[in-house]
Amino acid sequence: MSTSDLIVGASVVDVTETPGADPLQHSKPARGNVLRIVGSILLVLFALALLIPFGWMVLSSFKDSNEVFSVPVRWLPETWHWEHYVELWTKTDMATWLRNTIVLSVVVTFLQVLTGAFAAYGFAKVRFPGRDVLFLVYLGTIAVPWQSYMIPQYIMMAQAKLTNTLVAIIVLQAFGAFGVFLMKQYFESIPEELSEAARIDGLNEYSIWARIMLPLSGPALASLGLLTFVNTWNDYLGPLLYLRSRENWTVQLGLKNFVANNLDADYAMLFTGLTVSVIPIAIIFLIGQRYFVEGIATSGLKG
Amino acid sequence: MTSATADRIGIPDTSGTDHTPRRRSKLVLRNTLLGWSFILPNFIGFAIITLIPVVTLFYVALTDFNIFGKGEFIGLENFPKLFADPLFQRSVVNTFYYAVMHVPLTIVVSLGLALLLNTKLRGIAFFRTAAFFPYITSIVAIALVWNLLFSPDYGPINEFLRFIGIQNPPGWLTSQEWAMPSIVIISTWRDMGYYMILFLAGLQTVPRELYEAARVDGTNAWQRFWNVTLPGIRPTMFLVTVLLTIASFKIFDLIIVLSPGGTAAPNQATVVLSQFIYQKGFIESKFGYASAAAVVLFAICLGATVIQFYINKKRSA
Amino acid sequence: MNRKFAAAGGLAIVATLSLAACSGGTSETADPGASAAPVTLTLSGWSLETTPEFQTLADGFEKETGNKVELVEYDPAEYNTLLTADLGAGAAPDIITQKEVKYVSTLVAGGQLLDVSDIEIPDSVSGAKSYEVDGTQYGTPYRQDSWVLFYNKDLFDAAGVDYPDGSWTWDDYDEAAKALTTADHYGTYEHRWQSTTQGFASAQEDGDIFSGDFEYFADSYERRLAREAEGDQIDFATSSANSPTYQGEFGKQHAAMLPMGSWYVATLISQQKSGEADTFNWGFAPIPQVDDSTTSEPVTFGDPTGFGINAAIDPAKTAAAKAFLEYAMSDDAASTLAGIGITPANTSDVVSDAFFSVEGVPTDDLSKFAWSTHDTKPENPTSDETAAVQTILGTMHTEILMKSKSVEQAIADAEAAFKAL
Repeated sequence: MSTSDLIVGASVVDVTETPGADPLQHSKPARGNVLRIVGSILLVLFALALLIPFGWMVLSSFKDSNEVFSVPVRWLPETWHWEHYVELWTKTDMATWLRNTIVLSVVVTFLQVLTGAFAAYGFAKVRFPGRDVLFLVYLGTIAVPWQSYMIPQYIMMAQAKLTNTLVAIIVLQAFGAFGVFLMKQYFESIPEELSEAARIDGLNEYSIWARIMLPLSGPALASLGLLTFVNTWNDYLGPLLYLRSRENWTVQLGLKNFVANNLDADYAMLFTGLTVSVIPIAIIFLIGQRYFVEGIATSGLKG
Repeated sequence: MTSATADRIGIPDTSGTDHTPRRRSKLVLRNTLLGWSFILPNFIGFAIITLIPVVTLFYVALTDFNIFGKGEFIGLENFPKLFADPLFQRSVVNTFYYAVMHVPLTIVVSLGLALLLNTKLRGIAFFRTAAFFPYITSIVAIALVWNLLFSPDYGPINEFLRFIGIQNPPGWLTSQEWAMPSIVIISTWRDMGYYMILFLAGLQTVPRELYEAARVDGTNAWQRFWNVTLPGIRPTMFLVTVLLTIASFKIFDLIIVLSPGGTAAPNQATVVLSQFIYQKGFIESKFGYASAAAVVLFAICLGATVIQFYINKKRSA
Repeated sequence: MNRKFAAAGGLAIVATLSLAACSGGTSETADPGASAAPVTLTLSGWSLETTPEFQTLADGFEKETGNKVELVEYDPAEYNTLLTADLGAGAAPDIITQKEVKYVSTLVAGGQLLDVSDIEIPDSVSGAKSYEVDGTQYGTPYRQDSWVLFYNKDLFDAAGVDYPDGSWTWDDYDEAAKALTTADHYGTYEHRWQSTTQGFASAQEDGDIFSGDFEYFADSYERRLAREAEGDQIDFATSSANSPTYQGEFGKQHAAMLPMGSWYVATLISQQKSGEADTFNWGFAPIPQVDDSTTSEPVTFGDPTGFGINAAIDPAKTAAAKAFLEYAMSDDAASTLAGIGITPANTSDVVSDAFFSVEGVPTDDLSKFAWSTHDTKPENPTSDETAAVQTILGTMHTEILMKSKSVEQAIADAEAAFKAL
C-alpha cells in the first residue's frame, strides 16, 4: 500500500466501508497510530473552529449589553451576569414563545415528513404521464425567492382569515417541495426487488409504502425530520409576517424584540435567548443522529 | 434504479408483454390514478399555498405595478430595461461568481465530512454535532464573529498569515476583491453540516458487499470511492447538487449582514440577484420590475436544475 | 386546467390588490361636532414597551375627546414591509404612523393615504412639508428630531478644551477632536449611517440630492477621512467589523463628542439612570456650521415622524381620525411628549419648558438654544425617487469610507448611477 493510501486509508477505508465496524485500534502499524493522533488533533481544532461563533455568542450572553460590541473586541465578560438566564424566564415571555415554537416545529415536521414521503413514493415508484414535468414544477418553486411572492400569498391567507394564527405557518411550511424531493431521491435507491417480492405476496402499493419503504428509509426520514424541525424552529421571516400578536410569537420573534430598534438594543439578552433556544435542537440532534447512520438490512438479497 | 424497471411498476402480472392499445391505455390510466393518489395530499397544499402566488408573480412581471398593485400591464417591457440595468448585470455576475465557487466547495467539504464521520466510533457524535452547529448559530453572531476573525488589522486570521510571512494579507470582508470569496468561505462553513447530514443518510444506502467485493478485487481506497461510493450515492448527489445550486443562486441573508460596510445598500462587489429584487421591490416599490428580475432568477435556477436532471437521468439508465 | 385556474387566481389576487388600493377614495364631510358616541381608532406603532410616545398620545387624546385609540404593534426593523402587507390585505390600522419619510410617496402613489389638507397646522410646527405630495397634504408631523452635537463635559475639562459655544465651524470641530483624543478615548465618534456625513452636507451646502450633482459631498468626506487618518475617530472599517453602538461609544466615554439625533437625549438619561452608561456631565450644542453666517439659526437636518390616515378607513371615523392628527400637534400633546424626552414637531415655548424640566436633561443655555432654535432641513425630501437615490448615495458612502474608491471616483460613479435611474 502506498503512503497516500495509508492517509486516505486511515479515514476513508475503515470508515465508509464498514459503518458498523469494531473500533480500529488494534493491529495497525505505528505509522498509522501517529497519523491517527495527528488526524484527531486536527479534527478537534476543526471542531473548535466550528464552535467559535457559538462560543462567542454564549460568552456574550453573560456580558453587559453595552459591552457586547466593543472596540477592541472582548471575549470574556468584565462581570459575569448570570442573572440574564433567570431574567429570560421571569422578565420575558420566553415560555410562551417556546411553547409556540415547539408546537409549530413538531406539527410542521410531522406533516412535511408524512405528506412528503407519501408524495415521494408516487414520484419515485409510479410511472405516469407528466410525472417528470410535475416534479420539475415542484423544484421550480424552490427556485423562486420567497420575498417575491410573499405579498400575494399574504393577501390570500388574509382572505382565508388565517393571518395572525399559528395555523398560517403550519399551512405555509407543511407542504413544501423539499420533503418530497429528499424522500424521492432516497426511495430511488431502495432496490426494486423488495417491492416486487411484496407485490407477489399480495401487498397493495399503500402497504408497500408503509411496510417496506418507510422502515427502510430510517436515515432519510431522520434527516428530513431534523432539517425540517431546525428550519421551522429558526424560521424568522414567515412568523414575522404572519404572527403579529405577542401571544403568537415564536422564540426568534420574541428574541429579535430585544434588538427592538437602534435606540434600545439589548444584545446580551438576545444572545441569552438564542443560546437557550439552541439547546433543544442540540439535544435532539445528539440523540437522533445515530438514525442517520442506520444501515439498511440488505441481507437475504441476492446481489 | 433503471427507468426500465420503473416501467414495470404497477403491473400485477410480471409478463407485461401484451402491448395492445387498450391494455396500454388502461395501464396508463391506472398508473396515473395511482400516482396522483400518492401525490395529492401534498400537492393540494402546495398548489394553493405556493403555486398560485408564484403564478401571480409571473403575471406581475409583465406589469409596472408598485407594491400596492397600482400600475398597468406592459407586456415584456420590463425585460429589456432589466438587461440594460448596470446594477442588474452586476447582480447576475456576482450571483454566478458566488455559486460557481460555493457549490463545488460545499459538496467536497460536506461529502468529505460525511465520509469522515460515517463511523460508529465513540465520541463521533460530538464531531457531527459540532459540524452542525454553524447551521443553527444565529446569523447575528455569525456576522459578528466572522467580521472579527476577518478583521484586516486586528483579526486572528491575518495575524496568523503575517506570522507565517505573508506581508500583505487580504482585506477579506472590507476589500472589494476579497469580499465575495470571504462570504463563500463563511457560507460553506455554515452549510457543510446541513449537507453532511444529507450525505450521511445517502451513504447508508451503499451495500456493504460492494465494498467487500471491490476490496477482494484489489482496488485501493480512492478507486473504491470513485467506483463504488460515488455511483452508489448518485440520487443523494443529485439532491444535494440541485438544492445547493438553487440555494446559492438565491443567497440573500449572508450577503446583507456581511457586505462591506454592513449596510443594506447594495455594494458592487457583493450585490446579488435576491438583493436586487428586494431593493427594487420593497425599498423602491418597483414591484413589477422586481418581479421580472425574480422571473430571471427562476429561469436561471430552472435551467441549472433541468441540466442536472438530465445528467442524472442519463447516469441512472 | 392549470392555466385557467392560475389565471383566475392571479386575477383574483391582482384585483384584490387594486381593490384595497382604490377603496376609500372619497371622505365624507362629516361635521366635526357630530361624533356623539366615542369612536375607537387603531394606530400602528412599534416597540410599544420601549416607545411610550404612542400610548402617551393615545391616553391624552382619550382624555380630551373621549375617543379611544388602540395600538397595533409592528416589528420596527420591518415596519414598512409588514405595513405594506397589511395594507394590501385591507387589514391595516386607521391611523398609519409614518416611521420613515422616504416611504410617504409610495403610500400616496398606492392610494393608501387620505387627503388631510383641511387640518390646520400651527405655525410652531415644523416638518409638515415632508408629508406634502403634489401640493396636497397627506399627513402631519408629531415629532421632529434634529441632529445636534453631544459632548462630554468631563472629558473636555480633563483635556482643557473649551466647550462648544454655538459658533463652531467644522474647523473648530476638527481641532477639538484632535485635542480631545487620548490613548483612552477618541475625540469624536461618528456612526456608520450615511446620514452622519451626508445629512449635514446636504443641509448646509444647500445640496439637492435630486439634482444628480453630488460634488458638494466631497468636502465632508475629505474631512472625515482626515480625522480617521489622524486617529481622532474610529475608522469606518473597524467600526463595521466590530459594530459598536453609538450609545455605547458615548455612554461609556469611548469618545468625547457625538453628532446624533435629538432622540438620544432620552436614551442617554435612562441609560445613565440604569447604569448602562457611565455617570458624567454632558450637554448638547448646535452642530458645527460651514461658517458663522448661520450662527443665529444653525442649519442641521432631521426627519419628522408623523401620522397619516388609512384611505380605507370607515368614513364614520374620519372626523375622529383627523381630530387625532390635530391633537398630536397641539401644545398639550407636545408638552406631554416633551415630558418623556421626545422632541415634538411643535417647539413653542410651553413645549420647550416642558422638555427642559425633565430630570437629567442638561439645562445650560446652549442646550436650550440648540434644541429649540434650528433650521432643520429634511434628510429625506419627499419624492418618488427618494428611496432609489438614497440607495445610490448609501453605496457611495460605503465605497468612500471603506476606501475601495477615491472620493472623486465614488462621486462620479454615483452621478452615473443617478443618470441611469
